[in-house]
Amino acid sequence: MAARLSSRREKFRGLSPAEFFYKNREIAGFSNPVRALYQTIRELVENALDATETHGILPEIKVNIKPLENDHVFVRVEDNGIGIPPTEIPIVFGRVFYGSKYQLRQTRGVFGLGVKMAVLYAQITTGKPLKVVSTQNKSKYEYEFEIQIDIAHNMPIIKNMAIREKTFPHGTIVELITEGNWTLARRKIESYLERTAMIAPYATIVLEELDSKKEYRRVSKVLPPPPETGKYHPKGADLELVKNMIRRSKKSLTLMKFLMENFDGVGKKTAENFLTWAGFDPETKLSKLTLQDIEILVRKMKEYEKWRRPKPITLSPVGESLLKQGVKRILNPSYVTAVTRPPSSFGGNPFIVEVALAYGGNVPQSDTPTLYRFANRIPLLYDEGADVSRKVISSIDWSIYKVKFPAPLAIVTHICSTKIPFKGVGKEAIAEVPEVEKELEIAIREAARRLRRHLSKLEKLYEVKRRKTIIGKYIPEVSRALAYVSNLDEKVLAKKLQTMLEKDIKTRGVINVPAA
Amino acid sequence: MSPRRRRKSQSAAPSEEEVLRILEKWGQSLTEQILKNRYPTLEIPVRTLSNTIWDKKRKILVLGPKKARRSFFDVGEAKRFMQTVLMLSIIVRARREGDYPTIRDLYYTGKHTIYYVDEMGRRRSEETWNDQRESNAVIQDIEVATGLLREHMGIMHDAKGKIVGNVIIRSKGYDIDLSRLGSGAYAVPPNVDKLEIRRVDADYVLVVEKDAIFERLNEEEFWRKHNCVLITGKGQPDRSTRRITRRLWEEFGLPVYVLTDADSYGFYIYSVYRSGSISLSYESERLATPEARFLGVTVTDITEYKIPRNYIIKATDRDIKRAQELLRYPWFKESKAWIEQLKLFIKKKEKVEIEALSGHGFKFLTQTYIPEKIKQRKWIV
Repeated sequence: MAARLSSRREKFRGLSPAEFFYKNREIAGFSNPVRALYQTIRELVENALDATETHGILPEIKVNIKPLENDHVFVRVEDNGIGIPPTEIPIVFGRVFYGSKYQLRQTRGVFGLGVKMAVLYAQITTGKPLKVVSTQNKSKYEYEFEIQIDIAHNMPIIKNMAIREKTFPHGTIVELITEGNWTLARRKIESYLERTAMIAPYATIVLEELDSKKEYRRVSKVLPPPPETGKYHPKGADLELVKNMIRRSKKSLTLMKFLMENFDGVGKKTAENFLTWAGFDPETKLSKLTLQDIEILVRKMKEYEKWRRPKPITLSPVGESLLKQGVKRILNPSYVTAVTRPPSSFGGNPFIVEVALAYGGNVPQSDTPTLYRFANRIPLLYDEGADVSRKVISSIDWSIYKVKFPAPLAIVTHICSTKIPFKGVGKEAIAEVPEVEKELEIAIREAARRLRRHLSKLEKLYEVKRRKTIIGKYIPEVSRALAYVSNLDEKVLAKKLQTMLEKDIKTRGVINVPAA
Repeated sequence: MSPRRRRKSQSAAPSEEEVLRILEKWGQSLTEQILKNRYPTLEIPVRTLSNTIWDKKRKILVLGPKKARRSFFDVGEAKRFMQTVLMLSIIVRARREGDYPTIRDLYYTGKHTIYYVDEMGRRRSEETWNDQRESNAVIQDIEVATGLLREHMGIMHDAKGKIVGNVIIRSKGYDIDLSRLGSGAYAVPPNVDKLEIRRVDADYVLVVEKDAIFERLNEEEFWRKHNCVLITGKGQPDRSTRRITRRLWEEFGLPVYVLTDADSYGFYIYSVYRSGSISLSYESERLATPEARFLGVTVTDITEYKIPRNYIIKATDRDIKRAQELLRYPWFKESKAWIEQLKLFIKKKEKVEIEALSGHGFKFLTQTYIPEKIKQRKWIV
């Protein structure tokens, strides 16, 4: 994505970035009023989460949506994040620009571009300015801005600004009026927030609509450790990135030093071996490199097989325990298990696959497993049929795990990576990268094996309970018949048989069995 | 002619008191198991083909030694256990109160609904038995387990056998002369063992498959002219027809001749009189007549008696299949004559009815065929 956008920018040199993005809004998911409203909420909520969980704050997010006249919709998203310094507020919301990407870590959004798209889209469709209120922990004040974007010059226009004593400790409130079809987008938005609550059990999320309020209270006070920042792996670098790195480096740097400083897992020896293999002199100065040299260098970096594996420190999986809590909170199943795989990589990009499996309880009956997909903790709601998770799930013969469809089975897949291998520009489906596919299958099968063990146990318990019913229901009949034949009191025989049955059930080790 | 001397029966029926005592003792053994905190368990001889044995010496089918243990605490057997003791209690009641219910009476008496709460907490119900097959099956279980026939237990069934001849029986205090019934015949009652056979003045027993032939022979008074006892079971014989046939053979030493159609079904009917049926092999000792002789119509009779072509029927595939099955039965297998007959039947694929003998005139059967075959010992066994 980064490379594609960057190279396009060159072609559209005549346009301002704001103009470019508006003209290509479908790339960012603003293709129609339904998608646009959904995307707006998504961008604002993801920003709110990034402002909280990444900084060790338990998220408290309020979303307020009111449909207005003429397909206009009022949207307000409030968080308890770190807040934004007043000097940066206009730039953050009112100027489309490219963030530096020399450092790398797993984030929900890339560049923070999405939120600017939302602002831009609102401004174009309704002409109403954006309102932001923000305060930081250390500040005594809160700052309120009304901002619009000067599209042609890609500059924020501050319509209004106010400073006052703060009314909340820290956080940001964003309000905008945008065009959107609330009726049609409503279900998607609700399900997006529900799924966000599932992947982030430590977050409290409130959705206030015109006529209803839905609150997901946090079920955990544990935050997953935030990702550390790391360097790119040489295999995962592209031409544009390397060119930018070289531009920012001292020209007197040797090629060997350049590799060691800028890339993950590259020491002196590795750099030397690679450069020799690739036909470069390790001592070559950066200033001597031609564009052609750089192209060869990048190609060889991708081809080289002896790099060290990428370090996964840049990743932040949710973890088995939190994932289970999140699934329980939303699906309330009778059984849940989670698997977090060890880190792996594709093409120099580290990734981790996490899977949760929920069975029974409130999980709806369905002819195939119900799938909940996440990438870097973002719920993926569209294009499920094209997603690698669906492909893996469909390829599994569930009967070997004792699952008979229709079954109350739900599967949650979470892929975290510094580069999610999305299929196409919609960023809603993950491509069939063999490494990812393999990890998914291992994780899903492991979870399925645990489910099978659980179901076998349940079956056995159920069997014993059934035994008690079957024998128990005939006791009165048998007692009556034999008591008549033997001239005895039937109560004596019934009591004997009942006691024998209770004892028999007890030796089978079951007292209470949960309903299947 | 002097009456036949009576021999001692090997298969005499137990008295009513004895029957009740056996049934009560059987039930009591289950009650005692429960009182001793043991899982009540029935032992019932298995009534399947695999446990049916051909007793070569006695020439009857008998039940093998295999027994099934039916524990009330076995989930798969609990219902059948309940059904068995339920049926036992109904039969014991009938014996204690001197009632004679039919098997259908027993079915209705025991049929009722059991209400219970299942393992999922749902209120449910089920019938003690759903159809008469189920109640009949437990009656058979009780028969094999106690060694009592249902007739001994006072259980009635549709009896369809008929008998006529120089025989005097005593039933309920009345002497009945079976040679003084005019055009009618005596209907064999369900419990033949309650009859006393007082006097038999005959040379042999002729069992005919078909009622119509029986009526014809009776109307001609064939039995008087040839000094025999005439019996029919109207097709597949019931237990009482087989029992009275056996008693005449066992107690009075009369040879028994069986006359059926020349087809697989006729042959099998003969085999039931002679050796017993597979499903009721436990009764063979009382019901089978191991020395019964097959008088005809044989497959070779078709050519020997020059039966006209228009009386010959083409055998169906089912006839042939049945004949092939018969070839595998031990009592057919050990008879050279039968192997020859059955193989010929399979080869020629032709069958005839008894009535085919009328091709030589209506009197041919009674005046020529039957007397000639007996006199010339042209039966097969």
